[in-house]
Amino acid sequence: MTIINCTLPFGVVKDVNDYSKIINEILRYDITFNILKFSTGSGGVTLLLDIPLDKVDLITESLIKHNVIVNKKGRVIVDDDKCIDCGACISLCPTDALHLDINDRLEFSYEKCIGCLLCLDSCPRKAIEEM
Amino acid sequence: MVKTYAEINEKIKSGDAIIVSAEEMIKIVEESGLRIAAEEVDVVTTGTFGPMCSSGAFLNFGHSDPPIKFEHLWLNDVHAYHGNAAVDCYVGCTRMADIKPFEYGGGHLIEDLVAGKPIRLRGNSYTTDCYPLAEIDTLITIDDINQAILCNPRNAYQRYICAVNSSEKTLYTYMGKLLPQFGNAHYAGAGELSPLNNDPDYETIGIGTRIFLGGGIGYVMGEGTQHSPENRFGTLFLKGDLKQMSSEYLRGVSYEKYGTSMFIGVGIPIPILNEGLAKKTAIRDEEIFTEVVDYGIPRRDRPILKNVNYKELKDGMIDLDGKSIKCSSLSSIFHARKIANELKEWIEEGRFLLNPPAETLSQDTKFKPMRQISELKFVKDLKREAIICYEDCDLKIVAEKIIEENMNHIIITDRENFLKGIVTSFDVTKAIAKDKTELKDIITKKVITTTDNEPIELAARKMKLNEISALPVIDDNKKVIGIITSEELM
Repeated sequence: MTIINCTLPFGVVKDVNDYSKIINEILRYDITFNILKFSTGSGGVTLLLDIPLDKVDLITESLIKHNVIVNKKGRVIVDDDKCIDCGACISLCPTDALHLDINDRLEFSYEKCIGCLLCLDSCPRKAIEEM
Repeated sequence: MVKTYAEINEKIKSGDAIIVSAEEMIKIVEESGLRIAAEEVDVVTTGTFGPMCSSGAFLNFGHSDPPIKFEHLWLNDVHAYHGNAAVDCYVGCTRMADIKPFEYGGGHLIEDLVAGKPIRLRGNSYTTDCYPLAEIDTLITIDDINQAILCNPRNAYQRYICAVNSSEKTLYTYMGKLLPQFGNAHYAGAGELSPLNNDPDYETIGIGTRIFLGGGIGYVMGEGTQHSPENRFGTLFLKGDLKQMSSEYLRGVSYEKYGTSMFIGVGIPIPILNEGLAKKTAIRDEEIFTEVVDYGIPRRDRPILKNVNYKELKDGMIDLDGKSIKCSSLSSIFHARKIANELKEWIEEGRFLLNPPAETLSQDTKFKPMRQISELKFVKDLKREAIICYEDCDLKIVAEKIIEENMNHIIITDRENFLKGIVTSFDVTKAIAKDKTELKDIITKKVITTTDNEPIELAARKMKLNEISALPVIDDNKKVIGIITSEELM
């Protein structure tokens, strides 16, 4: 599974319920997926979806046709040069994407990140950035 | 079996000394027993790498021409303390830059200085006959200045508490970001690797002890501030030459909404002079206990919820009333271990010898709270009677009460006196402007509250942070028992 971030920009959406367009579009492919986050912001209606890796291209193409902006934004990256392996971010990560390896160094498993961003302001070295 | 410092140093010089880290010592004692471990091992090295807010540096810049006697000075916009001779200063790691507070502070400055980066020095003076220059603005590096001495009044806490948050909101503290309702836990300290845990009775660590500090050689100057040996919260006062140090072991940090600090690497060698020290240096995380403390209560004496050991903490999960709470460190075990191993190499290579302390550290210093001469006032001392309307009442009645009681805030409850919301005179005005006629359309349901025993200062901070001017006072059952407004606080 992998995570995509889909936004229906304001202007394109007339109604908040238009977000169902995103869902209906994906449902056409008869696949199982998870909705990780639903939010409305200044940019429009945004959904963070966890979808099968092999369907990413298909779904992305189809959503773009309906004016949905699709990107992988929403997850974080860790700058190893800034990180000092303290661990202040680890207890905030709900999926163990941020964890210590066997040598007690911070390890980030990108595929586990669900983009909750709870860790973002926990890093005393500002080594965690939103992608 | 008794060894002396001189014997151990002779073995170090001849390359025969056996040096192990505190983690390795555990295995050696387990496998060979105390007696053999004490005979064979000469030195156990320890290490810790964590945020140490008391840290700072004394710097001497040399004299300018014409000479200046600083009144105020800034290094990369971080205000340094000047209250000593003309071109001396002390810069503390928690002092935040005037221009980028919460991003850059004294800790970052010290890291940059040690990394050899140019530092902007600005200063001014009221001028004297002997120091006539009024202003200076220049660039310096660590090589340009005379002395750069790391001087930290409180380092290397023997152990530290584990912080959790019972409150309803996320707290940003010096113990990191604490999620509401016990959402996570943070601890600090290297446990079995930590220097003072390996010499808990301060047999070998004392005034003058030579140590690893920030990648260079440093010394213990004595007991640290807030040294509390009876509670096993011992601390050390340390100094060292920044010119020998490495920015790898001195890292500026910034905690969100708290401020800046600095991570410091400290490593202390423990000579195995007797079997007792072999036993002490074999201490395990399971044997080192600390307290889980609730930072949701913003008082000096925060509630202690339970005791945990460092094994549980390092495993990443603690249990609190049947709930598993994810727990992580604020200090780096990886770097603590690296420091212990680097110090081990220094001694093995004969570059670092051990010395007995000139004096040992106090075993009975007390850590006292601050004496306050003004009496602490609580909400119950200043609250007044709340003007209450029921949730089903007419908006007009609310408006009448506002006028009748000359009160800006009307508390809305049910018949049982449970808090349901709050309405202000501004809400009523807004209702008229927007043609709203029902109380339910204008009521604020999410209400910030206080209790009888909350100190006034904390109630005032709640009002300030939330930009409101009144707090309903509720009891343990969430029934309304009064109100406190900004007028009472004036």
